[in-house]
Amino acid sequence: MNLALKDIRHTLPRFLITLLGVGLLITASVGMIGLYRGIVQDATLLIDEIGADYWIVQGGRAGPFAEASVVSSAMDRRVAGLEGVAQVRRFLQSDQQIVHQGEHRRATLVGLDLPTDDGHWVNLVAGRHLLHARYEVIADQSLGFGLGEHITLARDRYEVVGLTADMINGMGDGLLFVSMNDALDIARRKENEEILLTRAATGLETTLTDSKIAAILVDAEPGLDEAQLRRAVLSWGDANILSTAEQRDLFLNQRLWRLRVQVLAFTAVLMVVTAIVISLIVYTMTLEKLRQISLLKLLGARNRVIDVMIVQQAVLIGLGGYAVGVVLAHVIFPFFPRRVVLDPSDLALMLLLVVGIGWLAAQLGIRRAMQARPQDVLS
Amino acid sequence: MTALLSITEAAKHYPSGDSMVRALDGVSLDIRAGELVAIMGPSGSGKSTFLLIAGLIDRPTEGEVRFGDRRVSGADVDLDRLRDFRRRTIGFVFQNANLIPFLTAIENVALAMIMDDVDAEDAHAHAEALLEALDLGHRVDNLPSRLSGGEQQRVSIARALANDPQLILADEPTAALDSVRGRQVVDLFRRIADERGTAVAVVTHDARNLDLFDRVIHLEDGKIVAREGHA
Repeated sequence: MNLALKDIRHTLPRFLITLLGVGLLITASVGMIGLYRGIVQDATLLIDEIGADYWIVQGGRAGPFAEASVVSSAMDRRVAGLEGVAQVRRFLQSDQQIVHQGEHRRATLVGLDLPTDDGHWVNLVAGRHLLHARYEVIADQSLGFGLGEHITLARDRYEVVGLTADMINGMGDGLLFVSMNDALDIARRKENEEILLTRAATGLETTLTDSKIAAILVDAEPGLDEAQLRRAVLSWGDANILSTAEQRDLFLNQRLWRLRVQVLAFTAVLMVVTAIVISLIVYTMTLEKLRQISLLKLLGARNRVIDVMIVQQAVLIGLGGYAVGVVLAHVIFPFFPRRVVLDPSDLALMLLLVVGIGWLAAQLGIRRAMQARPQDVLS
Repeated sequence: MTALLSITEAAKHYPSGDSMVRALDGVSLDIRAGELVAIMGPSGSGKSTFLLIAGLIDRPTEGEVRFGDRRVSGADVDLDRLRDFRRRTIGFVFQNANLIPFLTAIENVALAMIMDDVDAEDAHAHAEALLEALDLGHRVDNLPSRLSGGEQQRVSIARALANDPQLILADEPTAALDSVRGRQVVDLFRRIADERGTAVAVVTHDARNLDLFDRVIHLEDGKIVAREGHA
């Protein structure tokens, strides 16, 4: 006879409401962890997916993610001439405020250096990659554009030829991929008056000479001498070199450090609250049953009968709450504006934590139950 | 006949502030198998303390308690270790039936046996037979909340009988019942004592059914002040 299940069945509505409450707490905890994972994944998405070995950026800068970077428009040819360099690609990204069908949308434009970089690394879920060098765009689904739709960027109309999933930058804005030539045109776009004023002041046609290239991506040949490459780049004076690992570290541990710590701190607070709430629920359930526990003792029940009842209920609350929490997380979070990554290893860890919390809470309950005296039934 | 429960010069003292409360003060009493004994007395007379000591729930400060040949009192006796012995030899009936609210009538009765490692199926079968014997065959699957006060009390008596104990201790079992139901319960104890040979000690205020008892012990200020019936 399972006393824990019998008790739960007797007070099923209350137990279900308890599960919902615990489940919502677990949803929130899972959500905070998922938000953290989402921020990290979004932040490092381009760095990881673009697949470069080294980033050549503006001299004295640690760009283009941690700070601004502009390299000369001829930098790619200089880098290509270095020993051990297999291939170079120009990198450009710029934030865009797009007005589409009367709605404002934020996007980050990324230039694909065709034909060297055909964008094979882009996570395409519909449509195709860029085939033509001009006026085609691949958009992330989060931006809400449909395949075949036309959008306006810097006064030109672009056709959406492909859709990606989960390609978002560190700020949560969807990515738009265009050819490098288009990306440069869009980045260099100036109002007529601005061009006239610059021309009058400098006599230069700045629209054509502004580089706008943020970095040069280097694919290394096997056996490349990294120290030699670094020496060569740094000797130019107007360039700096960062490995992919250094880029990740700069972005995560410098630029996003405060945000990450903040999210992790909230997660820790939520976990503590969850632990306290589960403990209180189990402890209160034990207190409510003290008379029955005294009765069981009077009838000669072994301590194990009482221990098992309390532990089973605590673990059932934990497991049930976990199941409710994870199901709710899968249902709710896709509708959240920022990506919430429900990583299986995080969910497994959360399951272990919840079972552990339930077990610890049960120990509190058992400790109280052991203080119940059989004679209390007679009072 | 040899005493089943033998209490000799039992005393129970509680410290209360600077003074000492003598809840039980040199009580000696033997209860034999098949005997129905009433323990009467006003509030504070020591009835409940007697019940705790007789039920092996508390130990006397002085004196000795023996169950058959076994000494079950003294500083060297661990009451917690007596739990198995208590489960097999003593049944309890309370003023309020004290049934477990989330178990049905049959489960409440079977639980006492399952705790004693009786196979669940056998325990249920025996519990059903006990409930039928107490005219509760039609109520076996009811939760306590669906039973009347008298029915709940009969279920608690069935539970007390479940492990076929040698002694039943009842604490004011008729206090919450009307006179008819109260007499039915005492009559049931009479039958249990007669037919099963079980010793039954009933702590009661209710003087209406004393004719059914073999003996009536009167307690006052922790002492036996009167004994009625054959010794």
